[in-house]
Amino acid sequence: MKSFEFYEPTTLAEASRLFAEAHAQLLAGGTDLVIGMKALTETPESVISLQKIPGLTGITTEADNSISIGAMTKVREVEVSGDIQQHHTALAEGASEIGSIQIRNLATIGGNIAHASPAADTVAGLLVADAQVDIASANGERRVPIDELFTGPGQTVLRPGEIITRFRLPSPASGSHYIKHKIREVMDLAFIGVAAAVNLDNGTITDARIGLAAVAPTPIRATEAENLLNGNAPTPELLEQAGEAAAAGCSPISDLRCSAEHRREMVDVLTRRTLQHALERASA
Amino acid sequence: MSEYTVVGQTVARVDAVEKVTGAAQYGADVHPPGMLYGKIVRSKHAHANIRSIDTSEAEKLPGVRAIITQDDVPSGRRVFATDKVLYLGEPLAAVAATDPDIAEEAAERIKIDYEVLPVVQDVIEAIKPSAPRLHGDDTKDGPNRREISGQIRKLSRDKENDHSDEMSKLEAELEAYPDEVYYNISAESHTEAGDVEKGFAESDVVVEDTYVIPRVHQTYMEPHVSVASADSSGKITVWASTQGPFAIRSGIAGTLGIPLTQINVIGTTMGGGFGGRFGVIITHVPAVLLSQKTGRPVRVQMTREEEFTDGRPAPGCVIKLKTGATNDGRILAREALAFWDSGSVSGASIGSTIRVRGVYKIPNLKVDAYGVHTNKSGTAAYRAPGAPQAIFAGESQLDEIAERIGMDPVKFRLMNMREEGDAVPAGGSEPKVGYKETLEAVADAAGWWDREADENQGWGVAVGDWTNGCGPGGVYVSVHEDGSARIFHGSMDITGTDTAISQIIAEILTVPYESVTIRRGDTDSAPYSTGSGGSVVTFTMGNTAKLAAEDAHQRILELASERLNTNVDDLELRDGAVHIVSAEQPKSISLGELAAYSLSTTGGPIVGKGSFARQASTPALAAQIAKVEVDPGTGRTRVLKLVASQDVGFAINPMAVEGQIEGGTVQGYAWAMMEEMQYGEEGNINPGFVDYRVPTSADLPTVESVIVEVPAPNGPYGAKGVGEPPITPTLATMANAVKDAIGIRVTELPIKPEKVVDALKSNGHGA
Repeated sequence: MKSFEFYEPTTLAEASRLFAEAHAQLLAGGTDLVIGMKALTETPESVISLQKIPGLTGITTEADNSISIGAMTKVREVEVSGDIQQHHTALAEGASEIGSIQIRNLATIGGNIAHASPAADTVAGLLVADAQVDIASANGERRVPIDELFTGPGQTVLRPGEIITRFRLPSPASGSHYIKHKIREVMDLAFIGVAAAVNLDNGTITDARIGLAAVAPTPIRATEAENLLNGNAPTPELLEQAGEAAAAGCSPISDLRCSAEHRREMVDVLTRRTLQHALERASA
Repeated sequence: MSEYTVVGQTVARVDAVEKVTGAAQYGADVHPPGMLYGKIVRSKHAHANIRSIDTSEAEKLPGVRAIITQDDVPSGRRVFATDKVLYLGEPLAAVAATDPDIAEEAAERIKIDYEVLPVVQDVIEAIKPSAPRLHGDDTKDGPNRREISGQIRKLSRDKENDHSDEMSKLEAELEAYPDEVYYNISAESHTEAGDVEKGFAESDVVVEDTYVIPRVHQTYMEPHVSVASADSSGKITVWASTQGPFAIRSGIAGTLGIPLTQINVIGTTMGGGFGGRFGVIITHVPAVLLSQKTGRPVRVQMTREEEFTDGRPAPGCVIKLKTGATNDGRILAREALAFWDSGSVSGASIGSTIRVRGVYKIPNLKVDAYGVHTNKSGTAAYRAPGAPQAIFAGESQLDEIAERIGMDPVKFRLMNMREEGDAVPAGGSEPKVGYKETLEAVADAAGWWDREADENQGWGVAVGDWTNGCGPGGVYVSVHEDGSARIFHGSMDITGTDTAISQIIAEILTVPYESVTIRRGDTDSAPYSTGSGGSVVTFTMGNTAKLAAEDAHQRILELASERLNTNVDDLELRDGAVHIVSAEQPKSISLGELAAYSLSTTGGPIVGKGSFARQASTPALAAQIAKVEVDPGTGRTRVLKLVASQDVGFAINPMAVEGQIEGGTVQGYAWAMMEEMQYGEEGNINPGFVDYRVPTSADLPTVESVIVEVPAPNGPYGAKGVGEPPITPTLATMANAVKDAIGIRVTELPIKPEKVVDALKSNGHGA
């Protein structure tokens, strides 16, 4: 590990000012950053801890069932939160797929998202929750929809000094589900991740949302597939079409884990399955 | 009811408390005052000429105390590469600094000027005439070229059944270069018994396939580490995490030209070994050189990434195998041609190809094996070295034959298994071994005979054989005035061997297990001991301990004879005291009293000595059955049941034996399903636990162990080495279960989801 300056600001404004400097990195849970620093793939000159800034943790549920999650909330808290499990099952399931319990007790949801890995396990759940991302800097605040946050692997629309503070999950779906394609049962990275969320209105699908991880340079929504589903009654044929549409809409790569072709095929298979689960939950 | 009181019983391990409390001292816990941190400078290319090594910038860094290259090796033995590197991560130099970060930065500042050369990492590619030649042997009689094309050609191909591309590619090359000899061959091994051509001609069914087994790492939890300290007189102390301190001592002495007795090796608690912890130059020699140059203790500790790039993993191989059998189930002939990936140096376990003969009466057998150089690190032993690979091929193919002739796979194996006195193909006569008992035991325990399977579920069976090694060892045992006994020896504890030795001593001295303690010496103090590998320790050190205890027993009787005024023949050691056998005189004297008495006799204290080197050992068999369910959509395989039986001869500590069976079986499962060192253009591309997957406890159910005991004539109490056999059949067990579940014969490991999905798409043929 290279030597670096370490800061523990107590206000967002101070953190933002420090973070705006070149070669600065934010420390949330440290489960990505510290590993990178040890491997010398990350060599920040300054590391700014967010741990002493108040107001960045916790899950709160409003009267309308909308949920707000502080960016510094531990992934484990998201995983075990009754409200998240009930209203945003896919997000809780995604959180449960990250590393081990020890890692989830360190890692934060903000870090998982800000790291901008296309394979992040919480991202598909946030996509199908239609989450809004609150961003703060010394220059003020703004709000960005999660599907507009990412611009490429490790890349976001965040500007120098901008810090993710909170995720807002406006409209709970009645059924959602997340499936991760992997080799090892636990502690594996997503070969791909698929989340689906649906509402059912008298047997007709409304508000279908499909989030895909590790099948494109950024996490994506499968909008073609969603359009096929909305307004229709769920049938095996419809789910099959949705799976095919989702597969057609992604642009995976081949790497040491598997081929692009395999990823595309698994998008097809797992979109159908995750929709099936989400529909079962919605009709329960 | 056992005739024994301590052996054959499950007891707590002697090292249990220090392990669970964290008190055990591992290599990285050693920190002598003034210690420096060493770092190896490694090649960033898999194949390159080295034009120059410039250390000047690194030397300027404050805190750097020494930089060494091959120029600093007085004996000239190769420790660092000089003019050429043959694999990514090959050592070129080493740095010692006051801080690990400084050492790392200094290593980065050393400028290496490379002339990059073409790389070859696939064994079949490597033997082609057009391949880059690692050792440049292009003279007519170069040692690394061999006349092997004839052998490859002679193996007729069963086009319908051999789905592998590997041999097809090689054959195409043969057509292109009909008269060429082959290169990058590091070693060869040939065995022949009977006449395979005749055997195949007489067979009703002949199956032929090519099996591809990947290179895997032993993935012990503790990376290689050593701390070396050279004092002003030249005496060298090395704290080494190793399976064989005495081998390390002679290895350092030989490599550096230092007298043997100038080196003391202290073995630290081992964080796993599995055969991969015998290397001398990986960390020990660089640590010694750096300490000699700086005059301070130096620790050289590998990172996990370094373990993958410069450890000595198990070799991958390509095995072309052909088996012929009659319709009524008799195996008549088997022929194997294997290419083992030995990496940049020779030494892959090519001799283990003979394991394709299994434990069967195969009258006609031919085995040809070659080691092949590739641009990878060298290889080393891994739990029954070479056997899992060969047995994967042999046992996979047996199931294909059984299916063709419509015979139950267990019955087919039972029918062909050798019995006592049968000829072992190319290997003498079979001793008494529980082959059939072990297979029957696992079939019964798993419920094989009335097995049921839902859709996409299947059952697989396989067996694997292995024979423990043996080697020299010495043990002393002392009996103290309080009746307790203390053992002194020099072999490294590996998975409970100190416990087994303690049990044996307690048994013979008829004292409670708890009153026996064991102390390990370093190479300066302890009698010579063979390395803790090859399932050798309980066999060798158990026999040694037995001799030592019997020696002490003899002295105890002598003392009692003096004390009780009775002939030795009328005395018996029982329950920690010597008793007069005859009923009229019920008189006895305790061990403690005898030990106290011994301090003032002319004969002196009770010290038993045992020394042992070699006795014929007896094969062991591991038999396993798995039930799996394959998801045809995703290709993922879930293990529903995994049962493992093993003929262990005699289980000295049944719980420890079960632990060995479970551990070996899980490692075999991992090799079958997920473990694989992957190579890209420039070397290993998954050098860490993110993409080199070892299973967790969530991946498979509890392995059900079944202990079978057919005693080995020369083992202590009949015990055989138990550590290695259980990994040998699991690769085939898993592949056979997947075949049964979905009709896909996977011949290339690991059985990844993508392979299964692709094979299902191409209509049920080999992945």
